[in-house]
Amino acid sequence: MQVAATRIGGDVKKRIEMSGISKAFGGSVALKNVSFELLEGSVHALMGENGAGKSTLMKILAGVHQPDSGEIFRDGRAVTFATPKEALDFGISTVFQELSLLANLTIAENMFLGREPTLRFGTVDYTTMNRETTKALAELGLDLDPKTMVSELTIAERQFVEIAHGIKADASIFILDEPTAALNAADVEVLNRHIRRLRDEGKAIVYISHRMDEIFEICDMVTVLKDSELVATKPLAEMTPHSLIAMMVGRELKDLFPERNAEPGEPMLDVENFRISASSEPFSMTVGKGEIVGMAGLEGQGQQRFLRSLVGQFEPFGGKVSVRGKALKFPVSKDGGIRYLQSLGVGLVPEDRKEEGLFLTLSIGHNIAMGLHSRKSEFSLADGYGEKIRETMASMSVQASGPAELVSALSGGNQQKVLLGRYLAAGMSILLVEEPTRGVDIGAKSEIYRLLRDFANKGGAVVVLSRETIELIGLCDRLYVVHDDTIVSEMAAENATEHNILDAALSRQASQVRLETTP
Amino acid sequence: MAALFNRTNFNRISRIPPAYFVFAVLLIVLWIARPHMLNINIMGIFIRQVVPLGILVLGQMLVIRVNSIDLSGAGVLLLINFYISSSMFPGASLPFFVAISLATGLAVGLFNGYMVGKRRVSAVIVTLAVNIVLVGIVQFLASGKPPGDVPSIFSDIYNTKLWLIPTPVLFWVALALIMSLFLSRFVYGRYVSSVGANPVAALFSGVPVERTVIVAHTIAGLMTALASLVQTASIAVGSVRVGHELPILAVAATILGGVVFGRGEGGVWGPFFGVLSFALLFVVMTTFGIGESGKLITQGLIILLAAIFYGLRTAKSRT
Amino acid sequence: MNRTMKRLLTGKDSRQGRWFFALLIALAIIVWLGLTTERFLTSENLFNLVAQAMPLIITAIGMMLVVLVGGLDLSVGSVISFTTAILALGAPALISIPGVFALAACIGLINGLAVTRLNVHPIIATLSMQFIVLGITRILRPVSGGDVPQIVIDAVAGSFYGIPLPVFWGIVTVLIAWKIIHGSRFGLHLFAIGGGIASGTDEATHNFGVADKQKILLAYVGCSCFAALAGIFLAGRIVSGDPNVGLLFEMDAITAVAIGGTQLSGGVGSLHGTVIGALVMALLANGMNSANISAFVQTAIKGVILLLVVGLQSRKKMGL
Repeated sequence: MQVAATRIGGDVKKRIEMSGISKAFGGSVALKNVSFELLEGSVHALMGENGAGKSTLMKILAGVHQPDSGEIFRDGRAVTFATPKEALDFGISTVFQELSLLANLTIAENMFLGREPTLRFGTVDYTTMNRETTKALAELGLDLDPKTMVSELTIAERQFVEIAHGIKADASIFILDEPTAALNAADVEVLNRHIRRLRDEGKAIVYISHRMDEIFEICDMVTVLKDSELVATKPLAEMTPHSLIAMMVGRELKDLFPERNAEPGEPMLDVENFRISASSEPFSMTVGKGEIVGMAGLEGQGQQRFLRSLVGQFEPFGGKVSVRGKALKFPVSKDGGIRYLQSLGVGLVPEDRKEEGLFLTLSIGHNIAMGLHSRKSEFSLADGYGEKIRETMASMSVQASGPAELVSALSGGNQQKVLLGRYLAAGMSILLVEEPTRGVDIGAKSEIYRLLRDFANKGGAVVVLSRETIELIGLCDRLYVVHDDTIVSEMAAENATEHNILDAALSRQASQVRLETTP
Repeated sequence: MAALFNRTNFNRISRIPPAYFVFAVLLIVLWIARPHMLNINIMGIFIRQVVPLGILVLGQMLVIRVNSIDLSGAGVLLLINFYISSSMFPGASLPFFVAISLATGLAVGLFNGYMVGKRRVSAVIVTLAVNIVLVGIVQFLASGKPPGDVPSIFSDIYNTKLWLIPTPVLFWVALALIMSLFLSRFVYGRYVSSVGANPVAALFSGVPVERTVIVAHTIAGLMTALASLVQTASIAVGSVRVGHELPILAVAATILGGVVFGRGEGGVWGPFFGVLSFALLFVVMTTFGIGESGKLITQGLIILLAAIFYGLRTAKSRT
Repeated sequence: MNRTMKRLLTGKDSRQGRWFFALLIALAIIVWLGLTTERFLTSENLFNLVAQAMPLIITAIGMMLVVLVGGLDLSVGSVISFTTAILALGAPALISIPGVFALAACIGLINGLAVTRLNVHPIIATLSMQFIVLGITRILRPVSGGDVPQIVIDAVAGSFYGIPLPVFWGIVTVLIAWKIIHGSRFGLHLFAIGGGIASGTDEATHNFGVADKQKILLAYVGCSCFAALAGIFLAGRIVSGDPNVGLLFEMDAITAVAIGGTQLSGGVGSLHGTVIGALVMALLANGMNSANISAFVQTAIKGVILLLVVGLQSRKKMGL
């Protein structure tokens, strides 16, 4: 009970202090003068919408990025981490949001990568590695062979290995960046037990998650970031879920989202008995004219795979899809699929605008006009589309010196608008949008919501994927809850809450075995 | 003075293809060392020598812009040279040779494109392997000896002039003009820029990425065929050794001209001046008595330095 | 058992790749040659075959180091010729042998620096190095000739109880290579870095605290040094320096590596696969020679094999 004494007593030591941190990537600012401190024996929630700067702040603490200005202090002394290794040696261990395990290594090799124990003559000590790994996994309730290749694991298993890797380290500060995104409720409870144990040992833990109930269950303090800036740091006891959301969003939620549409028109996209893979259950869905439909649920449950199967990036197992009454010809080819769907008026706005969406080294004009160019054959004369580009930029209020400016110089919000603008300018009638507002400031966010709603009101149909359940609830007319590669529930967005979406997703799973280890 | 070296000025200057600077410097060197060489007749002859390289560069530039490379040119050149100089097609006419050469270039280009674009095989390996296969076949057919003479009509055309300028040079300039117009006026040019800048984004904006790469390789194959015809006309005999350095010189000239993997800022004319720089470089090296080995080293250094120049620039713009 | 078989046959979920096919091919060629060629299956002939294959085995092992991290080294052929030229300068072995390794390490260092620090594509960096080194070699030794130290000649030509010495050197080299690739942290890190690069997350190993750039740099240095070792072998065999002896060696080495199941995109491969791959090449050459196939056609056939082997590998990236 000495632990409780430290926690209640006013004399709590600071583990680490980040002061006045700023960071920009190219033209876009990721952090503006943010300060953050961690107390020992506490679980500190870091909150903010996608792109608010949480991950960047933590990557600076983990030595992945270096701040442009600002300092990190330990016991009043400034420290710097030039590489992840330096931060690790200093005692900072991270579970990153992106799954960063190496698929061609075994679990044990991943667990010890970069600090493998060696025998004489520098031979890697596999016996120790495998033994320690089995132990670490067993503590998390996992019965996996440490010699299994990571490529053979399921997403949830990978996430657990990643957690095991992060919390096994002999560190004093633990950063858990969305560790539960792919986990179900029972697994989350296992993780929470370990977080409490670390806390009771006097470690400091940073916890990033989108799930409110988890935050309130496990955390003591909360720091909220918005648009790359610090909003406040407060004890969680003083907060309610409602006030926390208001702090994150910065305004009343209902002001952020445009009015919903009253009545959907005739079906634009019709999916019947669709099966994502051979082992998944078939499902059907429909999207009507003027409607915005969201695909909700835990991360990586097949939402993206479904959308991308429609444009030929994955081969679905079976089903029938019709666009405005016209049946799609399956299999859709991988190279020509997007072209084919675009010719039917269906555009897919990809999630990762830097890697998959934009031509960063080319001009705004080129980026917008590509949607129009690609509707033509390569041996036809190219139109300049000057008028169209200017029109699009104006209607989306893209802030730039002109169409010739390079996209890489724009802020995240303007980049996202350029990306969306490409598909709007190309005259699509159905938009499949992945993460419409990732890494975008609040002003641009509400503009993008308005643009999507306008598009729907003019007779378009929209399917949206998002990790931000609040965004789905606020923006959409109707939600489908996706779990295990199939749709498990449908609800009106008006009546949806984060809680009942999670319930709907997990209710089907309760009867299933938690983690299957057999291949 | 300080303002000259600030970041934006550096960026602006670094955007100009190095070929223009190199060309200017070599021109000055030549003007100082051998001023009498700078007249239209002598320069015409020098430039005529690099016309095959110049035509090859038009194709190389295209494949490099879509993140690929074509190193199979030497094999195609040997094969076409063999068609014309051996007794394989006795008494065949000029149009026949042109047709069969273009067909060969087309076939090799299509194959390269298919392997690179559809099968996703490394372009270096595909095109080098194709090169080995073609060279092996030609040497086998010729039993390692030079095949014979080239019909005189080739050298007759090669030696003509139009308004004081050698015809091959005009042919090259015309091809460059066509390529330049094709890339700037047709949708294909937009596809090429997009695939080069970001192939994934190109796919998601509806560009037929694989087809774009295949077409680029096919055009490169056709350019190689044209370059081979000019080269064969210039040496006027059959050979089993000619031109093995041409593809790599074409890569060097392209990079020098401001076209690097995935980036086409130098357009068609940057690499064009890259080739002209090489024309002058050969003259300068010959006048200063630098032999074949020295030329090899210089070529290697030029590619490496130009690649480092662009490597550092992209590294800078990324962080 | 079932899983092990599946791994062997498909190379899926295995870090060693499809080396098993190479073994089957090697055995098939041995059976074919044993049936069709007289005196093929004598120990003398088989030892000679291995001795013949030594330079390629060694070069291929070096090549594998850079292929594991998703690179390629096109300068090894030039490094081999360069090594023979240096050895043939007539300097005493005590100076020239450490000398060629030092020079090769320098070449590898420049390749590695260009790739890791100056952001140059491996193919471009090593291709230009190929030209630079070849140029220097031709200045040193325009045509074949010169005096190779006697100790090098003896080490390659001699035999011990009827077993050619190169076989012993080969065993030593393979043991050292095994230690580097499969028995050290360095080797494991090469696999890890390559795995990250192949899946498009170049930063992954760096985030784990692995000094990735330094390891890639060392892979290039290692590759050049193995090439130099192959060059010493060849110098001993041809008893002269030759600017053309290494010609196209890089292609043979890449083919051997690819036959052995190493993925050119990185992260998957094995030493035994590479050795078997090089032996397959040697067996093929042996078979084609005994079938009196012209050297030119042999080159063409090798090119076709390279196309087939690499064409069968799948990768995500398009282009270079």
